[in-house]
Amino acid sequence: MSATALKFRQASAGSAAFIAYSALIYLFLYLPIVVIVLFAFDAKPVPGLPLAGFTTGWFAQASADPVLVGALLTSTKLAFFSAALATALAMPAAMVLAWFPTRFKSLILCLVLGPVVLPQLVLGLGFVSLLRGAPNLVGEPAIVLAHTTMTASYATMVLYSRLLGFRRSYIEAAMNLGANELTVFREVILPLTLPALIAVFLLAFTDAFGEFIVAWFVAGFTKTLPIVIWTSLRQVISPKVNAISTIIILASLALSVLAQLWVIRQARPSARVGA
Amino acid sequence: MERISGGSPTILPSQRRRRRFALAGLAPLVLWQLVFFVVPLLILLVISFWTMRNYRLEPGFSLENYRAVFADPALWRSLVLSLETAFFVTLACALLGYPVAYFIAKKAGRFRIVLLIAVIAPFWISIVMRISAWRILLGENGVINQALISLGLTSEPLGGLLYSPVSTAIGLVYAYLPLYVLPLYAAIDRIQDSWIDAAKDLNAGPVRAFLEVTLPLSLPGLVVGAVFCFIFGLGEFVTPALLGGGKQLLIAQIIQDEFQRRQDWPGGAAIAMVLLAIVFTLLLLSMRYLRIASGERP
Repeated sequence: MSATALKFRQASAGSAAFIAYSALIYLFLYLPIVVIVLFAFDAKPVPGLPLAGFTTGWFAQASADPVLVGALLTSTKLAFFSAALATALAMPAAMVLAWFPTRFKSLILCLVLGPVVLPQLVLGLGFVSLLRGAPNLVGEPAIVLAHTTMTASYATMVLYSRLLGFRRSYIEAAMNLGANELTVFREVILPLTLPALIAVFLLAFTDAFGEFIVAWFVAGFTKTLPIVIWTSLRQVISPKVNAISTIIILASLALSVLAQLWVIRQARPSARVGA
Repeated sequence: MERISGGSPTILPSQRRRRRFALAGLAPLVLWQLVFFVVPLLILLVISFWTMRNYRLEPGFSLENYRAVFADPALWRSLVLSLETAFFVTLACALLGYPVAYFIAKKAGRFRIVLLIAVIAPFWISIVMRISAWRILLGENGVINQALISLGLTSEPLGGLLYSPVSTAIGLVYAYLPLYVLPLYAAIDRIQDSWIDAAKDLNAGPVRAFLEVTLPLSLPGLVVGAVFCFIFGLGEFVTPALLGGGKQLLIAQIIQDEFQRRQDWPGGAAIAMVLLAIVFTLLLLSMRYLRIASGERP
């Protein structure tokens, strides 16, 4: 009896150690985020301890700064276009890869996965070299093209793995009832995959919004928000930048958490069927 | 859509229709990736054999740029430093990430999904913002130094925290830890509890059960996480540029410098190709594990 009690105590001590350790790692992961948010609300003009007092003034200053607001709008617009293009490219390709027997499938998957795996710096340089042949694309169009390439890869992989678990009997049933491919897509596939599509769009948007290095290489005179923040980092970090970063960080966290929840919830039924 | 009626050996119209659908679905993405991914890399490869004369690109076939990568001591040093940093970062991520991945997969119960998402979520925030926060934390008058002083642990601020290889490594570990936890979690999650229990029933202690059951079975996740962590750590530019201080440059900073400041495209392209060669070699070597981790059987 005491042996079981000892074992139980050992087990709970082990669990407590696990919980304490994991809490430290989560602290490590969220400390920088907390720091940015903290100093966005602190009155001190140069971020540092001790805190000087609560203020929302930096948010007012940031929203009155034409450079910051302009960059925010530019980034939002460009990320929207990239995410829409990436989702539109990824969806049909993912359907074919998941449902049709395809020749050269691994080659195509490698091609799709490439931009995710290779160093972004090298991708950026490749784009710079490509733009030598099309100098009038430098700026906003080039940023959209580059971000679409990078996010389409990711979008295809996520959609592909989701569609593998899709019940094709629904499609067959609709086709046996005389629906053509377009009707099946509109009436069966689209409603059932819409959450995954929205999730992929949100992830692509978040990714394109925050991407810095490739955009920096091909931007010309265009200023996205990460580029403006990068430039401002040459001087002392202004709390204004922390204020706008706070908004972006909270938005990114909300969007990505929402999207991940959707992706995971979608994954569950198929996993159960597979098991 | 699936059924092919009859056993006729000729190609049926429905089959031809399917093939056309497959082609139409794949073509846009494949063409896009060819034009905006493969072609740029090929151009970069070609440029790496060109030379620079009077600030103008001169086509040709010269191996001089590649010789420089290995012969120029400064270049060679930064390549070695980058490999060392990436190795250290990978090792640190594995050691820090494994217990967390294990905790989420086996001990977290109904908080599993929440904790998993909480690990990945910071990864989606722009790296420029995430890394800039470490400057506030690590600087001479930064949060960590001031906290140490007010706790009485040091009287002088520690100068070496920011702008050193150490701060670069901290930033890289921070940036890529979520990326390592994800495949580790997937691999550990796939291990059935009954397998571990079976080992314990056969009188294996918790350490032995871990070493002989859990660890080998989570190997695909360890390898995949390590490969990605190493690749991203090796090619990362933002973190060393913001935290490294500029005295000891990593290879990504050298490439950027060649392209943007010195305008020596062939030189930069050659270093980029060496970097790509390292990445491709690592991916090829780990292909077996990548397949297992992605759910395909070997």
